[in-house]
Amino acid sequence: MRILGGCMIFSGCLGLGIWYRLQMEGRVRTIRSLIHILELLIGEVRYGRATLPECCSRMARYLEEPFRQAFVRIGGIMEENTGASFGNVFRQEMEGTLRSLPLKEEDREDFFRFTTQTGFMDGQMQLRAIEQGAERLQSTQEKLERENAEKCRMAVGLGAMGGLLLILVLW
Amino acid sequence: MENTILQMFPSAYREFWQKTAREQERLQEIRLRAGRPILLYMDGREVFLTERGDFTASAGCARCASDRELSDMLEHICHYSPYAFEEELRQGFVTVAGGHRVGVAGQAVMEADGSIRTLKNISFINIRVSHQKKGAADRVLGRMYRGGRPRSTLIISPPGCGKTTLLRDLIRQISDGNAYGSGMAVGVVDERSELAGSFMGIPQNDMGMRTDVLDGCPKEKGMLLLLRSMSPQVVAMDELGSEGELKALGQAAACGCRILATVHGESRRDVERRFGLDKAFWERLFGLFITLGKNEGKCVVRRIEEGREEIHEDFGRLHDF
Repeated sequence: MRILGGCMIFSGCLGLGIWYRLQMEGRVRTIRSLIHILELLIGEVRYGRATLPECCSRMARYLEEPFRQAFVRIGGIMEENTGASFGNVFRQEMEGTLRSLPLKEEDREDFFRFTTQTGFMDGQMQLRAIEQGAERLQSTQEKLERENAEKCRMAVGLGAMGGLLLILVLW
Repeated sequence: MENTILQMFPSAYREFWQKTAREQERLQEIRLRAGRPILLYMDGREVFLTERGDFTASAGCARCASDRELSDMLEHICHYSPYAFEEELRQGFVTVAGGHRVGVAGQAVMEADGSIRTLKNISFINIRVSHQKKGAADRVLGRMYRGGRPRSTLIISPPGCGKTTLLRDLIRQISDGNAYGSGMAVGVVDERSELAGSFMGIPQNDMGMRTDVLDGCPKEKGMLLLLRSMSPQVVAMDELGSEGELKALGQAAACGCRILATVHGESRRDVERRFGLDKAFWERLFGLFITLGKNEGKCVVRRIEEGREEIHEDFGRLHDF
């Protein structure tokens, strides 16, 4: 019985460590997806000279779930012309999607940064606004990748060791 | 008919514009100037808007448009992406859904070579409400056709006398077919999106089922492109302005196309003087000349000339404003 309890404590603590590791890896993966979205947006603006709502409708074709549906909805709402601004619609629809993903508040803010900077007459200025968000996410991604290898090892190790410690204390 | 006036405004301003939007059919222009009263042109008269959006004839009770309102509106019209309308803004107008033309003025930013780079601090907006008058060409259509085919026609008119409205309806009726002839493929070069009122490449006005529209393309280049790509039987062009455009029309005529065109002027003589080309040149290019004008504020066909022969004067009212 004791051995079974010990195994359960150990696997629980190890599982916690692994979950923590997956969260960290998931954040990097999601940030990478957000950068990819912003890069697609930059391409649509630069080469297609498309409006931001039009970009969203076109990009929906290249994106994977859960982003595809959100982009389809953004394009649809803007096409309906309810009078809502693009920034508000984009933020509202994407926030719902991003809520379930392993991201921190600052990552979301970096992603949404360009939505408060629309209305530029010059295409270069609009591109710069999107690029700034992408660059900030890029730097977060690089920082996380540098730190994550160590942190992930530590999370799993600490989980396992914490489990063993708990078993010893409770034995 | 779908109300497209309200769609030009962001949600925060829609309540104020509700009453105006309901009068879309009577509305000709909406003029917004930063810090100045909002002015409407309705049934040929000036009308102001009160704080609650009601109509008033008194400028004292009128609500003034704010800088913020103008910039919000422009951003909304440009789908929050004015950069995508850079070329249109440089030319001073944007065509929106419904075919309405939003003219803008403000501070010009110049390039080193003296050309306009863009406009900034836009403080003046003029919305020209588009009205398609189906049937405007009914009275001239019979004169245009010979042997079941339309003749090349030049519409001469001073500004605001309905030349674009007449041309648009001629295109529609020739394209769809009418009592005088069966439908024909029509190619339209709509440089300023005024004829078709295209929005995102889709004509907002009914241009007929056999009409191909090349939107936003310089007329001279567009004409040759259409000839090569769409094989039109009839080509149409609004507001002839340069010799290059005339040359392109000449090429279209040489390819066997019928030509429909409009030009600013009071009379044929005016047009001949302006382009420095003799009467014979125009008569080689066009079989029919329609001169428009105004009579008691209404647009009328003043004269229809067939080559040298004048066949009708004060032909009738085109449309009601």
